[in-house]
Amino acid sequence: MTAAPIRVPKIPGADEALQGWQDDRSRAPIATKIVIAGGFGVGKTTFVSSVSEITPLQTEALMTRASENVDDLAATPQKLTTTVAMDFGRITLDSDLVLYLFGTPGQQRFWFMWDDLMRGAIGAVVMVDTRRLEDSFPALDYFESCGLPYVIAVNHFQGTPVYEPEDVRDALSVPAKVPVVIMDARNRISVVDALLALVRFAVDISPE
Amino acid sequence: MTSASYKAGRVRPYSLTGGRTRSGHVLLVETFVATLETPDGAVEPALSGPASRMVPEIRAIIDLCRRMRSVAEVSALLKIPLGVVRVLLSDLADQGKIRVYGTGRGPGQPDRALLERVLSGLRRL
Amino acid sequence: MRRMLIVGAGQSGLQLALGLQAQGYEVTLMSNRTADEIRVGRVMSTQCMFHTALQHERDLEINFWEEQAPRIQGLGVSVAGPVTPLGHPRLVDWVGELDGCAQSVDQRLKMAGWMDAFERRGGRLVIHGATVSDLNFLAERYDLLLVAAGKGELGSLFGRDATRSPYTSPQRALAVAYVHGLAPRLEHPDLEAVRCNLVPDVGELYVMPALTASGRADILFWEAIPGGPADVFEGVTDPSEHLALTLELMEWFTPWEYGRATRVELTDAGGTLSGRYTPTVRDPIGRLPGGGLVLGVADVVVTNDPLTGQGSNSAAKCAASYLASIVEHGDRPFDEAWMRRTFARFWATARHVTKWTNAMLAPPPDHIVRLLGAAGQLPAVAHRFANGFDDPADFENFFYEPDKTAAYLEEAEAAGAAEVAEDAEDAEDGGTDAADVGDAIDTASEAAEQVG
Repeated sequence: MTAAPIRVPKIPGADEALQGWQDDRSRAPIATKIVIAGGFGVGKTTFVSSVSEITPLQTEALMTRASENVDDLAATPQKLTTTVAMDFGRITLDSDLVLYLFGTPGQQRFWFMWDDLMRGAIGAVVMVDTRRLEDSFPALDYFESCGLPYVIAVNHFQGTPVYEPEDVRDALSVPAKVPVVIMDARNRISVVDALLALVRFAVDISPE
Repeated sequence: MTSASYKAGRVRPYSLTGGRTRSGHVLLVETFVATLETPDGAVEPALSGPASRMVPEIRAIIDLCRRMRSVAEVSALLKIPLGVVRVLLSDLADQGKIRVYGTGRGPGQPDRALLERVLSGLRRL
Repeated sequence: MRRMLIVGAGQSGLQLALGLQAQGYEVTLMSNRTADEIRVGRVMSTQCMFHTALQHERDLEINFWEEQAPRIQGLGVSVAGPVTPLGHPRLVDWVGELDGCAQSVDQRLKMAGWMDAFERRGGRLVIHGATVSDLNFLAERYDLLLVAAGKGELGSLFGRDATRSPYTSPQRALAVAYVHGLAPRLEHPDLEAVRCNLVPDVGELYVMPALTASGRADILFWEAIPGGPADVFEGVTDPSEHLALTLELMEWFTPWEYGRATRVELTDAGGTLSGRYTPTVRDPIGRLPGGGLVLGVADVVVTNDPLTGQGSNSAAKCAASYLASIVEHGDRPFDEAWMRRTFARFWATARHVTKWTNAMLAPPPDHIVRLLGAAGQLPAVAHRFANGFDDPADFENFFYEPDKTAAYLEEAEAAGAAEVAEDAEDAEDGGTDAADVGDAIDTASEAAEQVG
């Protein structure tokens, strides 16, 4: 046996309030999810933390720079770095209904994670920082092309100018039907409003 | 018919009680899994399949999943890459050590009824 | 029982998985898409497979679509001449008979069906886009890791082999459309054939019969020279716009093909594909951060331009070659030396595909122009060229070196003349001299430049 033993945390999540469904192994709640996408430092983790009933968890991945471009001619095996592949939180919406929020980095090299996370998802919240609009372009391209519902959540940082949703929409060339909300990722009510905007939009475009 | 076998027949139709996972079954990040106790209550690490070379990981998963867990939680809490967790869980499900629960809905995007439930759930927050 | 992990559910990954499974190996297959997602997704290739490659599938008894798929019995070449006020002439137009039939089965059908079969037969299918982290963790838990999916992060594990990769940028922009309603070629209405249309300075148009979910279809496949007049598909996301562009180019550059395409419609909303990539040969062994080794399969390590339609053929040949190497190795460890030998065995055939495809990407030298023209008069030459698609190693004997081509043509002409002597009437129909064809193609190039 060469594998290093895995140290299991004594009772992971012991500090969290236990939900009733967690100890009932006879049946599982319905699981659903929303993906939170956006550039580095745009506030995805803050967003998830503000509304999650558990301390957000994360998974890590070894990444190469070369994976940014499949046609990279210099694609010699390169130095690997460990990065967060996704972080996620959870909201129990009802005794048999759980919503997961998965945040994942916005760079194109994480598209494999987006494909995975979007399978069966309600949709995505694409977070935008008005000081670095271009960071959100890969995520916007991705969600526009995959055809699943998404909304734009402009995370307003203190001390930066406040923009109108329509200005942001124009700057990003987002289709008129896609909701744009101005929000504060630190504020739970504001985060819930952004999630509501997405789910309402998903209902609107869902077949009767 | 004993009550135990009667109960086994009453699991929700989308629950998978060991054996082969159904064709095309996907372990989504939010898919719930839980350890299946053997009749005597003991849970032995798998001794065949790729899992036999991953006894510590297998033991850790079985311990962790005594409470209902999502696939993503197993990966994050045990610091095992997501793909490895998927391989091990599918192995354990085949061996009847782990129950993989359906997500409670069909493949593809959630239907309107479910979206309405999520909407009212969010409004209550 | 030996444990194998295969990443990637394409032609090579699945063929290898099914082959190993049949030999009693315990196989885990990772695919980033489910069978259903593949079925309803976008087309992936043109996948016209010739006899040798199809035989590998028959050997494994996974030729599930052989009865339904059109039996392609010929391969034709047309060369477009300069545009004239009277129309668009063809300088060369012939069809060579294939010794064994070819078939093209939409990979959405095939891969989804094979995935289902793999699972039905007890294989473990894990839906997951594999990462370096996953493989690093799994390396010591499996006897062998095979990477048969080159897109994304895993491709970066395999370093480029500059000595075997002459190109540093894409040489064609590909644009594929699957259609129903294409009429047969007037010249051979009863013969199913792949038609290769060479348009100097523009690119190539391939037309080939295929089987898709909605039945018999044809594939219209433009290979545009980057920056040339047919390089117009980039950024086109609407499938009907893609088809309209395909037909517009056909009307202008290959009107003889357009004539039978006036009533076509796309097979489905996923029936189009466009893209471009650089032909690249890589080191077949990838080294994981923890020291584990992975062996690259087929186009992960040998990527050719789709120009010669060899992608799926090479994938099938690679899977068959690797399968033999694995089985012959028995219980011994799959170490680096074994990996090198295994790749070398595949490369012995793959190198011919790479050499030929890279040669075809370049503007044709005079001796090739003469060869293509001569095939119009000499069925034996047409036959030999057509069957080179099945076994590109044969091109070594008559294609690359002007001397060898000249010697072969001389021989073929002598043999042809002997036949002609037997039937003097046919001699009256002597066609264009091959040298004239060469001049005409030069003129065609100039005309195409003006069009562009």
